[in-house]
Amino acid sequence: MSEFPVEISDASARLELDEAVYPLEAVYGAAYIFIDRCWVLIDKPAPGKWRVTLSAKKDGVDLRALGGEFANELLSCAWRHQITQQNQAMIEAVTTQAVGGAMGPPTLDELEKFDFSAETFEDPLGIAKSWEEKYKKK
Amino acid sequence: MTELRFHRQVYRGTAVDEAVKSFGSFAEFDLVEEADYWVVRLTARDPARERKIAGELGNWALGLTVQKRGH
Repeated sequence: MSEFPVEISDASARLELDEAVYPLEAVYGAAYIFIDRCWVLIDKPAPGKWRVTLSAKKDGVDLRALGGEFANELLSCAWRHQITQQNQAMIEAVTTQAVGGAMGPPTLDELEKFDFSAETFEDPLGIAKSWEEKYKKK
Repeated sequence: MTELRFHRQVYRGTAVDEAVKSFGSFAEFDLVEEADYWVVRLTARDPARERKIAGELGNWALGLTVQKRGH
């Protein structure tokens, strides 16, 4: 089993990260969580790479464990970032509906311009059908 | 003297400037702009204090950058 890629030097832990796996937003998120425990510096040593340096504020800190905790937090942030990206369209649609609902009922002029001929939504299970329409005698 | 190098693709220049202003009374600062980096050189009255100020300045710049992104 390979050793975890945390380089320890000068009372600090250093991690080299691949930008393709860990976007900057995820690195920011993990780094922000650690700024109360250690001094964090993010660098871009080469295209497509991030370097995170964690320096302990107090003596006697297990730097390898600190680096490992950071890596776990980073993975969590990267995963949450990916979920947000995937669900962006849905989040925007729900937010738009919520804001639209909060604007209150439409005016008569707005209703006049509204196109009622368009289908409102798909209803494959027939949930929107009335009771009479669904179970009418044939 | 301690040199901090803040990459321009990671840190906002305004965040680095604000951080330096916040710590201006604790050390002597010298700011240099390079093609890819905002470079901050600081000198404090003793090495331990200098290390602490440099670390906190880096955190401050990072915190401001994270808070201001997307604005």
